[in-house]
Amino acid sequence: MKTCKTGVYICSCGTNIARIIDVDAVKEFSGSLPNVAFARTYKYMCSNPGQDMIVNDIREHNLDRIVVAACSPRMHERTFRKALQSAGLNQYLFEMANIREQCSWVHDDRPEATEKAKALTHAAIKKAELHEPLENMSVNMCPRTLIIGGGIAGMTAALELAESGYQVYLVEKQDRLGGNLARVDLTAPYLDSAHDLVTDRITRVRNNKHVEVHYQAKVTELKGYVGNFSAVIQNINGHSSETAREIEIGNLIVCTGYKEFDASRITHYGYGKLPNVITSFEFEGMLKEGRIVTKDGKVPDYVAIIHCVGSRNQEFHTYCSRVCCMTALKYAHEVKSAIPGCYVSDVYIDMHAFGKGHEDFYSRTSEVKTLFLMYEKNDRPVIRKAGPKDDCDMLIEVNERLSGEVIEIPADLIILMVGMEAQQDSAEIARLVNISQDKEGWFIESHPKLEPVATTTDGIYIAGTCVAPKDIPDTVAQARAAAARVHARISKGKIDVDAVYSEVNENLCSGCRICNTVCSYSAIEFLVSNQRSHVISAMCKACGVCVAACPSAAIKGRHFTDQQILAQLEGLLSPV
Amino acid sequence: MAIRVNPRLIEDLNRFGAADVQMCYHCGDCSAVCVHTDDMFRFPRKSMRQLQMGLEKRLDTALEPWLCYYCGQCSDQCPREAHPGETMMSLRRWLINRYDITGIAGKFFRSVQTEVWTVIIMGLLTALAALGYHLFSGSIYVVDGPDAFLPSHIVHMFDIALGSVLGIILLLNALHMWSLTMKEGGEASIPWWLYIKSILQLPLHFFTQKRYAECITTKKSGLYMPWIIHLGLMWGYVTMLVLVMVFLPYLQKGPEIFWPAHIFGYLASIGLLTGVFYFIRSRLIRKYAQYHKSHSTDWVFVILLALITITGILQHIFHRTGLPVAANITYLLHLMVVVPWLLRMPFSKWAHLVYRPLAMYFAAVRKNAYAWQEKKQRSFSPDLQPI
Repeated sequence: MKTCKTGVYICSCGTNIARIIDVDAVKEFSGSLPNVAFARTYKYMCSNPGQDMIVNDIREHNLDRIVVAACSPRMHERTFRKALQSAGLNQYLFEMANIREQCSWVHDDRPEATEKAKALTHAAIKKAELHEPLENMSVNMCPRTLIIGGGIAGMTAALELAESGYQVYLVEKQDRLGGNLARVDLTAPYLDSAHDLVTDRITRVRNNKHVEVHYQAKVTELKGYVGNFSAVIQNINGHSSETAREIEIGNLIVCTGYKEFDASRITHYGYGKLPNVITSFEFEGMLKEGRIVTKDGKVPDYVAIIHCVGSRNQEFHTYCSRVCCMTALKYAHEVKSAIPGCYVSDVYIDMHAFGKGHEDFYSRTSEVKTLFLMYEKNDRPVIRKAGPKDDCDMLIEVNERLSGEVIEIPADLIILMVGMEAQQDSAEIARLVNISQDKEGWFIESHPKLEPVATTTDGIYIAGTCVAPKDIPDTVAQARAAAARVHARISKGKIDVDAVYSEVNENLCSGCRICNTVCSYSAIEFLVSNQRSHVISAMCKACGVCVAACPSAAIKGRHFTDQQILAQLEGLLSPV
Repeated sequence: MAIRVNPRLIEDLNRFGAADVQMCYHCGDCSAVCVHTDDMFRFPRKSMRQLQMGLEKRLDTALEPWLCYYCGQCSDQCPREAHPGETMMSLRRWLINRYDITGIAGKFFRSVQTEVWTVIIMGLLTALAALGYHLFSGSIYVVDGPDAFLPSHIVHMFDIALGSVLGIILLLNALHMWSLTMKEGGEASIPWWLYIKSILQLPLHFFTQKRYAECITTKKSGLYMPWIIHLGLMWGYVTMLVLVMVFLPYLQKGPEIFWPAHIFGYLASIGLLTGVFYFIRSRLIRKYAQYHKSHSTDWVFVILLALITITGILQHIFHRTGLPVAANITYLLHLMVVVPWLLRMPFSKWAHLVYRPLAMYFAAVRKNAYAWQEKKQRSFSPDLQPI
């Protein structure tokens, strides 16, 4: 066995760990193990004094392995690696034992939890013994960016980068820019013109020499890894002489937006059958034309707005589309200002007025005398044609929750607030750029709170309503955030890539290509020249699937070698 | 069966004073703070909702508006300034109009011009009639006796005739109220003996207004005592009404003071004067929620009552101090206000004198009926657990 000098540190994490685990017992146990110079405990290892303790010990005692038993490595592995670096020790001669998430937080028996913490720490010590010093790679970062989608998100991100002088390719499916926002009349809650927001950006995008807009086009291929992607843009209208073009890019931002829910799927709203039942987007069209009329050209006496069409329901989508409530209030305002005598009823489940200025807007809508009626999530209103004696075109039956009454309200025009849905081709895009989708089809962010625009594929960012329904300010903020992330990377010119990845021993590889197919990150290519597989290290996420799958044992997971894992198991299973 | 809403109801109610009901978003603070709301009669939120939605059928049959004495606590608590107290007040005005079988009340409540012109014309007609009588008989220098300018036996007869006609209309309106609230509004038919059982509720609430005393008064200053003043006003008014309708000839005897009758008149005058002064002042300074928004009919009510009180007192003083001409002129002015006042009786705010205690009584009957039904059901199915 290799001899080394390991320092072991057991963190109390305030009381998070120490409450359930006897940290002193773990310290005693670890200190008694072979190759361990000493073990210490501290209240917060991640704090500056905690890190300084490691740095000083390395310098004073010439430690060559460090093990910290604390929280998840996702939280603080990088913190401690930096401490090793600053003490002049290779950062990979470090291992963490997770005795918080995997032990103190999930157990309540103190003696048993303490035994488990000892085992986990022992495993880490055994693995660290076999660690080797590794060096990070540095790869080039191409300064050009590809943005998919020319809506408000795509245009904002494009301008953010282009106005800093970086080249942007903007690929738009349709023959115009502006996306869904271009179909909207006014915006809530300040009733500003959406047209003004969109045209200003379209003009700036078109006049910026750093933005190359591809209309009626789509990205059909994406290869490479962060900083070094190559993509193929293809024209989809068939008329253009240039059909496909290959470009080199460093990063990619997906801003493909949403599509509206198909209202005809809810059969008892009669959409498509009753001519005066229309969707919110059709109503936006009316507002843009400046004429609110029924199908036979009559000015409506009664307008009803129905919320959550396709949203917040087990049958269609369980989520809230976030913008419809405010849009509905906007409609009430616009109807009331165009037809002051009109009776506007707003049939909702809950009023979501969470944003800046939204609650005020809700109050102001009450002031313009809109009737708010609350219905039960799973008890939708029913629309029927009115009889000849009624003074209205249709009647809506609502089981109204706030009064407990089943009522019938008159309507000449019914606006269905259709929710947002993931784009039809979102699965195709997800496959193309190698990102994941949730069960509703929205793209998944790397971390919902701390990494809202990054994805699990390095160099691929997401922004706007392709991630989840959101309003204009949130969309713009995400687009700018994604652009800022890209900007930060390309301004450095190069990027550091972790030294943890798998490696093919070409002498052992038989060229069977099993690993090519199992890799989830498209990180393994097959080199035709020597009939061997090869791992593109910058793309490898070190998941280890190829290591396990290789029938020739030709693939080694650096920092997770078979020997290291076996040693870890040995530590874990040996008596404590 | 779904209830068809009346989309225009709320606009109509605006004319009765409910201006801010649309602001309500049903947090329920108003009902939480109200001491009078209970499991069976919930308000003001429920009434606010029924009004917002235009559930005319429900409001027609509701007793809730009458169970509120308008202390204004709910309006003070309202986070949306929807003024639930004022909504209840407006509903009472609207209900007076609904109970009225003649349709006159609605005209007064909906248009201030109609009401004011009616009062003026009635007053002038009264003056014309009095002066017409004067052409044939009576002397301006005589206050009582058969030769008086306005002989009390004729005025008395006229009073009784007018009072009877309007009393009958009021009775019919009250019957209409009963049929709306107890027959259409009740869940089941109520046996007659339950009406007997609760009959004492009627005088109790009429003479004590005890629910008004239960209203919250914590926030208010020392001068704030609406219950006692309202009660004094009502007692004064009722005493005066009885005196005028039954003992008018004794009242008008003079010039010496006839204590057995006049002592009641003096006490009643104190109640009336304090009341009208207090309510006019409160409606002018608008410090408290319940006086913040005065409907035109509220003003007509207090102003007419103030005029009646003042002219009545002056006539009495002039008569007792040997100023027959002044006494007769003030008496004429007094009658010019009294006649329109009496004529408006079943069609105005005045009617709450009758409807409110009736509603309290009906509410008690409905509660007893509900308890009786429950008991009956439980005796049929002994396994049934109380909810």
